[in-house]
Amino acid sequence: MNLTVPPLVAILFFPGGLFLLFSGLMYEWIDRKLVARFQNRIGPRLIQPFADLIKLLAKEEVVPQGVNAALFILLPVIAMAGALTAALYIPMIGLQPSYSFQGDLIVTLYLLSLMTICSGLAGANTLDRFSLVGATRTLTQLFSYEAPFLLALLGPALAASSWQINEINQFAQNNPWMILTQPIGFFVALVGLMGKLELPPFDAPEAETEIVAGAMTEYSGRGYALFRLGRNIELVIGLGLVASFYLGGVNNPVDFLLKTLGMLVFLAALQSLFARLRIDQTVGLWWRVGALLGLLQFLFLLVLR
Amino acid sequence: MLEFHTEKFIIPIGPQHPALKEPGHFEFTVDGETVTGATMRLGYVHRGIEKGVEGRNWTQAMYMLERVCGICSHVHATAFVLGVERLANVQVPPRAQAIRTLVGELERIHSHLLWLGVAAHEGGFDTLFMFSWRDRETVMDLLEELSGNRVHYSLNVIGGVKVDITDEIREHLLKGMDYLEERCKYYLNVISTDETFLGRTRGVGLMTLQQAEDLGAVGPTARASGVQRDIRIDAPYAGYSQFPVRLVTESTGDLHARFVVRIKELFESFRLIRLILANLPESELTTRVPRRIPAGETISRVEAPRGELFYYIKSNGNEYPERVKVRTPSLCNWSSVIVLAPGHKLADMPMLLSGIDPCFSCNDRMITIRHTDSNRTWSWEQLRQYGIEYYR
Repeated sequence: MNLTVPPLVAILFFPGGLFLLFSGLMYEWIDRKLVARFQNRIGPRLIQPFADLIKLLAKEEVVPQGVNAALFILLPVIAMAGALTAALYIPMIGLQPSYSFQGDLIVTLYLLSLMTICSGLAGANTLDRFSLVGATRTLTQLFSYEAPFLLALLGPALAASSWQINEINQFAQNNPWMILTQPIGFFVALVGLMGKLELPPFDAPEAETEIVAGAMTEYSGRGYALFRLGRNIELVIGLGLVASFYLGGVNNPVDFLLKTLGMLVFLAALQSLFARLRIDQTVGLWWRVGALLGLLQFLFLLVLR
Repeated sequence: MLEFHTEKFIIPIGPQHPALKEPGHFEFTVDGETVTGATMRLGYVHRGIEKGVEGRNWTQAMYMLERVCGICSHVHATAFVLGVERLANVQVPPRAQAIRTLVGELERIHSHLLWLGVAAHEGGFDTLFMFSWRDRETVMDLLEELSGNRVHYSLNVIGGVKVDITDEIREHLLKGMDYLEERCKYYLNVISTDETFLGRTRGVGLMTLQQAEDLGAVGPTARASGVQRDIRIDAPYAGYSQFPVRLVTESTGDLHARFVVRIKELFESFRLIRLILANLPESELTTRVPRRIPAGETISRVEAPRGELFYYIKSNGNEYPERVKVRTPSLCNWSSVIVLAPGHKLADMPMLLSGIDPCFSCNDRMITIRHTDSNRTWSWEQLRQYGIEYYR
């Protein structure tokens, strides 16, 4: 669907900016509600993510001793900005991406990784022991899922012979769904997204029973709110990206909602199905299984072209 | 460079930490993710119950001792009344003994299901946590129907029990056992087949039979390492001589074995409850016990859900106990955690800790450092004053 909005509106209100924040919180609610229902709980009310956000924003932000204060305050802003910027290159809600150029796929992937790098740095910035262990785990996890995730998203790019998200989206719409032609890639991408968002069972970096809140332990108030919000936005972007690549592209809002929410149900089921993996198990899983499968898929594509 | 190596990176767990449901303090020295040393410190929730009991009469003491543990309250009261009845030399009617046994097993079911949930949560398996706690409500409701309370059932009295099993309750108990048995079969299947869960439990916290004996482990923790010990079998009390249980042991000694032993013990509990309900002896529920218990001393051992619970009771022929000493099973199992921790990953620590089913406040000790030059004895009043001053 082609809808032209003025650039400023696109960045600040729709489909980026405020609308993105809102949809991020909605997706968080759906995710939490679904996991709760799978676990035989009632789950949060619709306004819970909004209430959490407002509560955190209203709280005092404590800057602990021994940190670089500028970095401590800036990192959540950068992480959030990275996520918001990435949204501009994605066919959000099935609309044309606000900006598009040859190679924006790579830029988007880097912008999405910014979040993880920022939270890793944020943990390493403090003197807190839980944060330091959390930061180490966050960055270790980054190095384990990033390569397979990238490979999984390069598959469709290779098929479409383009580095441009918009073109790949167009290609996906006019061809058979790539979940059928590249099933391994789809699965690796989806599970990679879970690793990226540190969802269970890949939540070792923030395993509460071991290291409290991992890299986020020292964060309170605004900084924590921004990190959380950034992660919610990444959930929407990530789902949108996988839908437009593997599920026959997204062309209109209904299409977008159906496909992303369908995947969210699947993600929620996976989240409630497993015990938490240790960080060494996570790394082993990604490099021994994830990366190999991704490479195999890649090889197939190269040979069959 | 030398200094860098000697510097220790210590991860503190507790006294306040999301993994701990009660305060305790553990320090794990880590090298990267690998734990190289562990120490622990107790004493955050000492309540002075043993001393408090000395100021109460025998009946009041029972209610106080029931408060030692919020999970296994019945087993504490049972241990105490069995000891007191032996001192008073009274014979408790068989029906009362059978009901004590029945409730003891119901309590074991509730305790083990609670533990299953907590241990699963420590491993990040929240779905199992939620499911097992939902099913635990069944047995909690049954206990409430039976005694009027969910946690502190208080159905023991010295010389018998307060409540009787009516036909209606019997029906509900049987129905509840059928449901729980079905669920436990499912859980046993889950913990034995789920790959991610096995990855966190199999081969973790391996304790050999020799180690278990040396470290003095008790209860399911020891039985998971193949120790053939269960007070219900070795020294049957209450109704256990009439309704014998079968010993449940595993030989592997890892965390997985501790899960399996506890769940298999539940099947034994279901069987025993059905057996008792089918063969409940007809008799009075209580017998008369004098207010003043004859002078003497005795020990009383029972099998709590966590292992052997030991009571030492001394009477000087008064209305008040002279001395009551409680040794709860958690205290015997701590050393196994500290010894087994080195070499494991930091991520295994919460599960290793919860693997012994720790209960902090019931085993807590007061710690005071005695200097060699001072030979001070504290009176109760002084201790009380010290406590008030300390926390002011």
